[in-house]
Formats: sequence, structure tokens, C-alpha cells
Amino acid sequence: MKLKYITIILSGALLLSAASCKKELADINQNPNNSQTAQPDYLLTAATKVTADTYWGTANNMDASLLFVQYWAKIQYTDPDRYIYSNSAFQDLWTVGYSKSIVNLNQIIKLGDEQANTSYKGVALVLRSWVFTLLTEAYGNIPYKQAANIDQYLTPAYDTQKDVYFALLDDLKTAQTALNPSGKAIAGDVIYGNNITLWKKFANSLRLRIALRIADREPAKAKQVLADIQTEGGSYISANAETAQFTYVDSPNQNPISNLFDTRDDYRISKTIVDKLFALNDPRLPVYASPTKDATPQTYVGIPNGLLVGDASNLGFTKTSKPGTYFLAPHAPAVIISYAETLFDQAEAAARGFITGDAAGLYKQAVTASLKQYGIADAAIATYTALPAVQYDAGNYKKSIGEQKWIALFGQGLEAFTEWRRLDYPQLQPAVAGTLSGKLPVRFIYPGTEQSLNGASYSAAVASQGADVLTTKLWFDVN
Amino acid sequence: MLKNYKFLLAILLPFFLIQTVAAQSVKISGTVTAKSDGLPLPGVSVAVKGTNNGVQTAADGKFSLNANVNDVLRVSYLGFATQEITVKQAETNLQIVLQDAPNSLNEVVITALNISKDKKTLGYSVQGLKSKDIAEAKETNLVNALAGKIAGVQVTNSQGDMGSSRVIIRGETSIGSNNQPLFVVDGVVVDNTQYLGTNGSRDFANGIADLSSEDIESVTVLKGPNAAALYGYRAAAGVILIKTKTGKGAKGLGVTINSNTSFSTVNILPDYQNEYGQGSNGKFSYVDGKGGGVNDGVDESWGPALDGSLIPQFYSNGQAVPFVAHPDNVKDFFKTGVTLNNGVALAGSSDKADYRLSYNNLHQTGIVPNTSQGRNSFLLNSTFRLSPKLTVTTIANYIKDDADNLPGAGGRRATSTMLQFTWFGRQVDINQLKNYKDASGNTFNWNNSYYSNPYWLAYENTVGQHKNRIIGSIELNYKIFEGLSANLRTSTDYYNDRRKIKVAYGTNGTPYGSYEEDNYAVTETNTEARLQYTKKLNNDFSLDVLGGGNIASNLFEQNDQVAPKLAVAGLYTLSNSRDPLVSSNYYSNRKTYSYFASAQIGYKNYAFINLTGRNDWSSTLPAANLSYFYPSVNGSLILSEALDIKSDVLSYAKLRGGWSKVGKATTAYQLQNTYNFTAPFGANPQQSLSSVDLNDKLKSETTTSAEAGFELGFFQDRVHLDVTAYNTNSINQIVTVDVSPTTGYSQKLINGGRINNKGIEVQLGLTPIKSKEFTWDITTNYSLNRSKVAKLDDEGRLQSIILGTDRTVQVLAALGRPYGTLYGNAYTRDASGQIVIGANGTPVINPTKQYLGKFTPNWLGSINNSFTYKRINLGFLVDARFGGSIYSNTNRTGTYTGVLASTLPGRGAANGGISYYYPGNNASAGAVRVSGSAPAGVTVYNDGMVFKGVKADGTANTTILPAQSYYKGFTNVDEAFVYDASYIKLREVKLGYTFPANWIKSIGLQSATLSVVGRNLWIIHKNAPNIDPETAFNTGNGQGLEDLTLPTVRNIGFNINLKF
Repeated sequence: MKLKYITIILSGALLLSAASCKKELADINQNPNNSQTAQPDYLLTAATKVTADTYWGTANNMDASLLFVQYWAKIQYTDPDRYIYSNSAFQDLWTVGYSKSIVNLNQIIKLGDEQANTSYKGVALVLRSWVFTLLTEAYGNIPYKQAANIDQYLTPAYDTQKDVYFALLDDLKTAQTALNPSGKAIAGDVIYGNNITLWKKFANSLRLRIALRIADREPAKAKQVLADIQTEGGSYISANAETAQFTYVDSPNQNPISNLFDTRDDYRISKTIVDKLFALNDPRLPVYASPTKDATPQTYVGIPNGLLVGDASNLGFTKTSKPGTYFLAPHAPAVIISYAETLFDQAEAAARGFITGDAAGLYKQAVTASLKQYGIADAAIATYTALPAVQYDAGNYKKSIGEQKWIALFGQGLEAFTEWRRLDYPQLQPAVAGTLSGKLPVRFIYPGTEQSLNGASYSAAVASQGADVLTTKLWFDVN
Repeated sequence: MLKNYKFLLAILLPFFLIQTVAAQSVKISGTVTAKSDGLPLPGVSVAVKGTNNGVQTAADGKFSLNANVNDVLRVSYLGFATQEITVKQAETNLQIVLQDAPNSLNEVVITALNISKDKKTLGYSVQGLKSKDIAEAKETNLVNALAGKIAGVQVTNSQGDMGSSRVIIRGETSIGSNNQPLFVVDGVVVDNTQYLGTNGSRDFANGIADLSSEDIESVTVLKGPNAAALYGYRAAAGVILIKTKTGKGAKGLGVTINSNTSFSTVNILPDYQNEYGQGSNGKFSYVDGKGGGVNDGVDESWGPALDGSLIPQFYSNGQAVPFVAHPDNVKDFFKTGVTLNNGVALAGSSDKADYRLSYNNLHQTGIVPNTSQGRNSFLLNSTFRLSPKLTVTTIANYIKDDADNLPGAGGRRATSTMLQFTWFGRQVDINQLKNYKDASGNTFNWNNSYYSNPYWLAYENTVGQHKNRIIGSIELNYKIFEGLSANLRTSTDYYNDRRKIKVAYGTNGTPYGSYEEDNYAVTETNTEARLQYTKKLNNDFSLDVLGGGNIASNLFEQNDQVAPKLAVAGLYTLSNSRDPLVSSNYYSNRKTYSYFASAQIGYKNYAFINLTGRNDWSSTLPAANLSYFYPSVNGSLILSEALDIKSDVLSYAKLRGGWSKVGKATTAYQLQNTYNFTAPFGANPQQSLSSVDLNDKLKSETTTSAEAGFELGFFQDRVHLDVTAYNTNSINQIVTVDVSPTTGYSQKLINGGRINNKGIEVQLGLTPIKSKEFTWDITTNYSLNRSKVAKLDDEGRLQSIILGTDRTVQVLAALGRPYGTLYGNAYTRDASGQIVIGANGTPVINPTKQYLGKFTPNWLGSINNSFTYKRINLGFLVDARFGGSIYSNTNRTGTYTGVLASTLPGRGAANGGISYYYPGNNASAGAVRVSGSAPAGVTVYNDGMVFKGVKADGTANTTILPAQSYYKGFTNVDEAFVYDASYIKLREVKLGYTFPANWIKSIGLQSATLSVVGRNLWIIHKNAPNIDPETAFNTGNGQGLEDLTLPTVRNIGFNINLKF
């Protein structure tokens, strides 16, 4: 029977080819487009850059925190300046923070362990801790323990802000130990050029910053952290040259603000900061603001925050000041922690009695450091620091430090936003046509996608923290 | 490679082992005519049953072939009842008269693997279209010609006159991957992917649009897995089988010339207001167009009334000139598109060979100025009868697409067309913009803040596409012995698609311009061998079995290079770049081995059972799971014959039913996570983990489907009813799901998810009048599909998967809901459903996003009426879609910018605006309604509006807002811009005339026809304002979103078809 032969031959050949084709098929499916292994130095550059871009970029800085603290104001499309946001407006920090920054920093930690290069682990822990602070200070409760571990947690639970801060303090202590200037060298560090000693100072300055964040809630813990640093013999960022910052280079790696101003003209400097700088005759005014294009009674004209669209543009694009060219330059740095800030922090720690020290002296050094950061001459600095309005007021350290720190942090929207909420100075007035019933925003709203993608965890976080609106105060923000 | 040969050898070996038997051969010649009009029928298949020995009748209905005594000749033609004639002796003038049977059970249809079968033997629903249904419609994109013609098939034309079109059969069965059917042309699997490119500024056509409608003989739609199981992993969404014309049966050198000219005009534009011009708060005066004057940087129409007041404008060099409306300023930008489609075909046939060679040329100029596309296609289809046992068929189709500039779509400043007009000054005279460059080459425009002149965009920022495509196959047919034949075919679809994307130096928002070259190379190769055995077992039983194997391989390469900022103007090269080039490339390779078999057992010609099985080995799955098997079974029973219940009333009755399963693999490289490189930062390379968490434990997807149906014919086929019900479950779906970024990834690849689709399809054919001179045919199609996302991930942690996004609106596959729900910002409502209004007088957005509808329709229907009077035929097709929703960003943006007529109420006293003033002229103090007379010294405004709703305390809202604030105040509420997407359209009107043979014979013509076809002439009914609800960005799964898409068009075309 002919058909029988066919059947036998067919099934024999079938078995033969089926077995041998498996290997061939698996080989075909090897991805030739990307690498299956990673290098810690390449990961480090990428993670640093992507974090700096979002930290300094549109969604978190220019269209949100720079407006909230009234450094900048919008002359067109004023919705954000009036606190009108969709729930996708704050997606960027969340997405980049977790899925571009933290996840890659975790890879560096893993590779650092595998290659017995502890400094990689230390650097990655410092950066990761900074990213977590940005997240918790913007949103409040955030995933920490279950974050960036997709194999175990597809819908990570949110931790309270207190737990996040406490965990970060532990992480930074670990980082301090891991950072070993005499150990294996690292590469790919575009913040400190692979200088581990400076990373140790960055780590401590961040611990100092966090200690003050929790100061109103957990003073004992804060004091303990600072005591630990002293015991370890640690030091802080101690010169403007040691400021932790990400310095941009040429296009296409230019500063995001510079990039935006290349094609758009939506922002002006805020009247609030201009008025303050005028009042103090502050030599930083020409640095922070550009002269108006048309001659005006005053060379620098800020615009009020949160005007209606027509009202804002009617002030005249050529009759109002853009931010200063220092900030619009392609190579302008994204400052993470400045020398001035660590001095302000130490001044406050002293004022609170967490450390021993001369609060007034540290405060004056801080103001001086900030002026020097922008190249102000010594004589002008002396004049400025002698002004009664600039002098340290021991009776209200929050006001002195709050107002000068606010001026010093110009450009660092997220950091200034947090410090303004914590210190409650300067006392800002809400946007002219603000939509929060006379209030200012005191947090970001969670990205809308969390509702659909991580609904149960989101709901639990909102239940614990309060409504997911701009006006819900976060744990660290007492009063 | 060795393995491939081994594999083929396994199939081919039997050819050589089997002896063959010689038989007595006689010559049969004759003519086939139609019973209805007595005219000869060309193209009728006359074949010896159970063999590959067959011919087609020539233009005069004549045929000739050799057959053996006692062979059975099968005479079949689409739309006619098949006849079987037993060969007794040689015949020189056999007269065969075929009975018209438009919906007959005896129809022959093409089924999977291009195998022709009697429709009556099939246990599933198939539906076909003939040449003229496709060719006369003359759609540039073939897919559009299917709209409204087949039950259960939904066609969505994306936008404009040159875009893509999406076709879906029986609803979406896959959550995340392609839901469009597989296209097979003459047995060749043809790619229909739409490559969107890197910046989404153009709606590039989907792959199948390359085919020339003039070459198509028939289209058969296999709806869903039951019919298509043999095609394997790509059949879950159904198969569209296209058969091209051949030279079979042509006598001498047959020449056909076809010429078509059609005109396209804009079908629908938004309804614009013409009472207020550019500006804000009622004020405007032009100085430099970027904020130097009064609101002259504002690109919205909240300015002064268009009452002829004297105001400096963009063209007036500072002179105050009348501020007046130009109601047609958008309409006047668009042109009448012209499409010229000319073709010639040569066909011939002899004892040894049949051939048909056609050339078609298409040139289209679009409705958007400076847009055009062209196509040259050559198709050679030839069959050589090398010996009585061996035939070779080769098909070569070469297509060259050249578009110098495709119309700008989407919402990108440097490229979009409609974006420009939705942010617009209603006073702008478009004619003033035609000279779009000033003397020094800078853009001259009505606004210099954000936009470039629309003519600048059309003439300077162009996107060209040049595509070369070859579809070819070679097929050997060998008759081993009576009833057993072997077939070997190898085919390739290869194309190279090169795009050049130019943004000119000086374009607003992109001051240095840019240049991009985006290139694709796509290859799909299939090699298939099969054996087919047909045997009449005894008087009652017949057997038809088939077995074979297939090797499919897909290669894809993309290479994209961008010069992000040009160094000098006007030179479009990659080296003319200020910044380092941004480059990327992607390569993918995929291979699938398959074995398949099918068997059909027939009983007494009225009961049939069909079985199929297929096993695939896919390179894309992990070693442990790469093999998967799937079977199908279906049966049909011709009740009218089985029970012998034929009568004058009931002509026939058929019951059918089946169950099938189809497995499906995935795309290449979905198993292992990788690290991607991005451009270096200075001297530091950058590497990061990919944002999708891949899965090394993937399993194949499975779609199972059950369907049952019946066909009834009454009054000798004057009434024909075909009803199908189906239930399809797609499980274990391979889906890239969005996950919370807090997992460290933005997406994760999972196996999970189940979608259920159930539906009903009804086709009803009526011939109310049928006389010698006048016939009236009615064909109606109705289909209803209900989908439900029954499961997402196995662990039940996912509530939804995002399919598409526009602004804050997402399209979701959400648990327990229909596929494609719209999800977005909604009003906050109190317990009684009233909208809650905030202290500032605008609605409060609900902090929790809400479900706002679904994009899938509730049902689709169409009615086609066709009248034939002597030599004139007239047809009109009306089709309808009911249910489903669409989010419209044209409406949202147009409300924000005040260009739409819907923003008129409240704007000024004449439009019902409330009169109000601000105490002390301080706007921050809030508006106070004027009752009686206003206090002295305050300015009174007449554009007050109050949002209908309640305040937080439950009392009615009374806050007066200026109209501008009122309308802008709800533009972030997505709910306000979600509309019912239902429509009824007059899809097609055809009027044709066939010249009498005796008139044209004298000039050497065999036939001549003339026709006029109108397409998309009238939207008879719709509920969505300002847009055509049948619109989309592209052919993906994120439908139900309209975002400043190009207007749809209506076409009127004139066809002449001459046969020599």
C-alpha cells in the first residue's frame, strides 16, 4: 500500500527534523540588537544623566516647582502657574525616578558586589537615595521596600514617608562605608569625575539634609544621624568646587532649560523673587534675571504668578525679564547639593541644637558661599551681608535661613519647594488667579496611571496620607 | 540550512517512490454560457475533478482540454451553480449552461492554502467579493473597498486621502498584538504592517495598499479561526484571500485597457465660528505676531468681534485694516485631489501555457497642497503545462511606490495640517498666506509664536516615501497518479521602504530644521510542500486528505538616521548637521516550521466532516514551549438534500458548525532582558536596562472558536439567508502590559489574559424583481460583536492594560469590560448626578478617572441595492455603525481656542451672554451680574456664562465667568469630548453601462464598459460634532481617539474599461 510508505517516511523525517531544529530556532532568537551584559560605568553615566534631565526639566522644574516657589512665572499657557494640572502632569518624575534611574542604579549595586568594587555600590546608593528623596518629597508615601523588584512585586506597596527617610538614612550609612577612596577605581562618574572622597562628602551632606527634613517630626533621630557622622569623622561638601552638580555639555546633551528656550518663550522671572532681590539690592539679580528686551523703567521686570492667559501676555514679552543667561546657557549645571546649602543646613542644625556650632557664623558663611557661587566680588558680598535685612535673626532662625536659602536655591525648584514647605519661609502669596481657594500647592499629585496600574496600593497610600490633591500636606511638612 | 532541505525532502521523497499509471485520453471542447442572458461566460473553471487538470473559458466562453473517459468534469464559476459532467467520449462542441446562483450552496470558494472547495462542504462562514466590487471602487488603499460589503468586517479609514486603513473581522481577539487579518495573495503571504516611523507625523499606508485593485479577480474573507486554522499562528484574526487575474482561457492576445479618473474633495470640516477673531479677552492688535502687540502672540480666537473694526493685522504693515471674517479660510486651503489610474493587461493562453501581464499606473495629488503619491505596478502571472502531469505557475508582482510628500497628520507643530487650523485666528485670510516666505526667505505668517505658515509646512516640511516591493512565487504541481497530487511552492514578499523627512530651516519651533532618513527592509519567505489525495471510497463516501509542511521566515531591518539640526538651510543631507547624528537600527529574524494535515469525509454529497491539525515550531518561544499543536473540526449538512425537502418555496437548507483552535507565537527576542545603548554623553557611553521586562517562560497564545450557522434559500434563490453565531476565546495571550513604573519597568511581557468575543452575522440576499430586462438585487449584511476582557494576568493583579493614549485619555483592555474602553477625566457629580462646580466657577475634575465608553461598535450593518436594466446598472451601498465612542481632540482643542461654532453661545449679548462687571474694575474680585444699571465707572462686559451645576454646598452655581474662561474651564474634562461614534454613510454609488457587442465589434472591441462611482458621498447621520467619527491615528489597537486628524474625503471616479 503506497500510502503506508508515505506515512512511515513522513513520520520518521518529522521526528528527525523536529529534534534538530530546536537548537537552530533558539539560535535565531538571540537578540543581535542589544547587549545582554552591562558595564557599571556606562550604566552610571546614563542613570545620572536621565535623573538630572528630569530633575532640571520641564515637568518637575519649569512647569511645577519653579512656579510654586515663585522663582519663575508663565507668560503664556498659564494653567500650571494657576495650579491647573491633569493627573498625567506629574508622571515624569515618577516614571523616570523608578524605571530609568533607580532600576539601573540597582544594577550598578549588583555589579559592584559581583566585581567586588564597593565604591560603585556606594555611588549608586547615594544617587538612589537622592532620587528617593525627590520622590517622597514630591508625592509623600511612595514604594521603597517593594520598589524596582518586578519578579516579586508587580504592584509595589507604598511606604510611609517616615519609613522611607529612615531607610534612606540607613542606606547612606552603608554607602559611606562602601565608598572607599583607596579601593578599586570607578569610571563613568560625570558628577565628581570618579573622585570617591567627594562622594563621601556628598553622602554626608545628603544625610544632613534628610536629618533636617525629619527634624520637626523625629528630632532625636535627626540628632543621632548627625552624631553618627561626627563619630565617623565624616565631613560635608566644603567648597563651591565640591558642589554636587551635573554639568551639561554641547547639544544634544545641553541643559534642558537651554534646550527649551531655543524654541519656546513661555516663561518669565517671577515678580516675587525680583521684588525680593530689588528690596535687598541683591547682587544676584543680574545673574538670576535677564534685562528686558525693550527699555523699561526698571531693567529687570518680573511678572506675577498665575495670571489669566491674556493678562499675562498683555504684560508684553519684550517688557518683562526672562531668567538670567547663566541659567539659559547650554552648559549650565543642574545643582544637586551646593556648598551654600550644606552651610545653611549646618547653621540650622546648630540653631536647633543638633550640633554644636555658631549658627549665625555658619549662616553668614552660607550667604557668602551662595554669592561666591555666582562670582560676586568680595566687596559686594561684604556690603550685602552687612545689611540688617540679611543679618541672622536668632529669634527666628527659620525666617533668616528660609529667606536666604530660598534666594540661594534659585533654579533648584524641587529642593526649594521642599525647603519652603518645611521652613514656611519666605511667606508666599498664592497665584493671582490660582485655583486652590487661596492655597499654594504643597505636593505633587500621583500620576494617574497608578490608579489603573497599581490601584490597591495607590488607594492604601491615599487612605493613609490624605486625598490625592495638591493641597494635602506631607508628613515632614509640620504646620 | 541543512535542516531545511531535510525537512523538504521528507515531503518530496514520496513523489519519487510512487509509480504512476497511464490512462486513455480524449479531447473535450465546448462553450459555457449563462442561463440568465445566454451570453458566453469567460473565466469559468473547467477541470477534471480531483486533479489539477483544468482550464478556464476564454472571453467567448470557449474551452478545450484533454480528459479520460469516465472522468468527471467540474464546471464552476463564482456566483453560478457548479455542474459536473461525466466524460463519455471526445466532444467538439459541448454546450454547458450555468445557472446563476448568486448565493447558491453550489458556489465554489477558495479556502485556506488557496484550495477551492464547494461552499456546501464547509462548516464555517466565508464570504467573497468579485473583481468588479473591488475594481470599480478604485480605492487607492484596497482595504477601503471592503467597507460595508462583508458581514462582520469592520473597516476604519484613518484619515485624509492617502492614509492607512484598518480592517477587523469579528472583533479584536488579541489584547496587545495585531488584530488585523492575514492577507494571502495567490497563496503568497503578504505583509500588511503599517510602519509608523519614528515621529508619527505621517499616516503611512499599511502594506496591502500596494496592491492594484485592477489585478484582483476575487477576494474571499475567511472569518476567524474556524475557516483559517490551516494558516496557523496568524489566522486567529481571520484571513483575507486575494486571487489575482490570470490568463487562463484567453484566446489569442487579449488586451484590456482600463482608465480611471477620480476627484476627491473634503468631506467634513469642523463647523467654525465667524464672529470673533484672533486674540484674548476681546483684544488684539498686531505688531510682530509673538507678543509685541496686543495678544498678537495668541494663537486662539478669543479676540475682538469680526465687525470690520480697524485693527493692524499681520499683512498690513502696521496699518489698521478691517477685522472681518473669512468663513472659508480653512476650506480654501484644501484642494480637489485628482487620482489617475491607468492600466493595460495582456492575456493569452495555449495548450502549453497561460499568461497575463499587466501594468498599472496610479498618480494621485492630494487635498493638501503639494501632496502626491504614485504607484507603478507590474504583475506577471503565468502557468506552464510542462507535461500532462507537471505544471509550473509563477507569479511576479513588482510594485514601485513613490510619494514626494504625504500629508501632515497628527499634532506636531512642524508638520501637522489640522493642528494649524484648530489653533487659528478666524479672521485670517488664507490667501494672504500663499506667499509663505518673505524676501529674505523667512516664514511669513499670521502668528510667529508657535506656528509656521500652513503653506510653508506643505511646501517646505515634506515627507517622501519610496518603496520597492517584489511579491513572487513559483509553484510546481505534479500529478503522481489519479487522485494524488503533490505541490511545492516557494514565495517571497520583499520590500524596501525609504522615507525622507525634511523640516526646513526657519520653521517655527525647529529653527534649525532637521533631516531624517528612515529605512525599512522587510522579507517574508514561505516554502511549502504538500500532498493531496482525493478518492471516492464507494457510492456513499468520498475522502479528500492533505498533508504538508511549511517553513516561514521573516526578516526585518530598520535603519534610522537623524540630523537633528541642520548646519545650513536648504540642503537635506545627513552630513549637513550641527549636532551629532542620532542613529538607530533594529534587526529581527524569525522562523517557523510547521506540519499540517486536513481531511474531508463526504457522505452522499450532503454531509461533510472536515478535520485539520497543525503543529508549529516557532523560533520566538523558549525551547521548552516552542512546539504547539492545534486542531479543528467542522461539519456541514445539506438538509434539503438529506431529507429531500426541496420545494418551490424552500430551495435549500444547510446547517453547519465547527470548533477550532489556533496557536500563536510572538515576535523575535521577547525572552531575555537586554541593555540598550544610547548616544554617549561627551566621551562617556551610556547604557541602560530596557524598559520592558521580558519573559523567558512564554507559552504560545491560543484562540479557540466555536461557530454554528445555517443557510436557507427560498423561491429558487430569490431569497437567501445566511446566519452565523460564534464564540471565540483567546487565552494565554502574550501581552506587553503597562506596569507601575515603581516596579522598575514601564512594561512587562506576560502570558495571560483572556478575551471573549461572541457575535452574530446575518447576510440576507433578496432579488425582488427579476425579469429579462430588469433585475433588482438587495444584499444586506448585519453583524454584532460583544467582547469582554475576562482575565488579564493569572495572579489577578492587573486591572487594565493600556492600548492607546491621547492626552489624558487612555484606551484600555479593562477587566470585566469590553475590549477598548475609554478611560479618562470626568466631571465630579453629586448624588443626584449634578456636576459639581468649584469656587472658581469651573467644573471640578473627578480625582478618580472614569470609564467613558468603548471604541468598539455595538453593531454594523449595510444595505446594497443593485439595479440592472438592460445594459445599465446602478448600485448604492449604505453602511452603518451603531454604538461605540470616540474622544475628539479636535473638539477639545477647538473649544479651548474658541474657533468652533460651538463656542459662540454666551459670547456677547447677541449670543445670550450675561452682562456683568467687576467691582472697582478688579477682576480678582469676581464678576457681578448687572441688574438694572451697573455702578458708575465700571466696565460692563456682555460675555458672561454660568456653568450649569452645583457648588460644593449643593446650591446652584452662580459664578459668572467670561465666555473664554467658561469654555477653557472644562477642556481638561475628557468626558465632555467623548461622543457617540455611530454613523450612517452613503458609502458607494455606482452607475455603469456596458456597450452592446454589435456596436463595438466593428472597432475591434470585445467589450466596453463605462462607469461612474462615487465613494463616501454623504454622512447621512452622525452624533459626533465637527469630525467624521470613522477616523483614527493609525491601524493599531488604540482606536477611539481622534486627534486633529485630516478630514476624510469623498470621491467621484470615472472608469472606462475596454477589452480587445
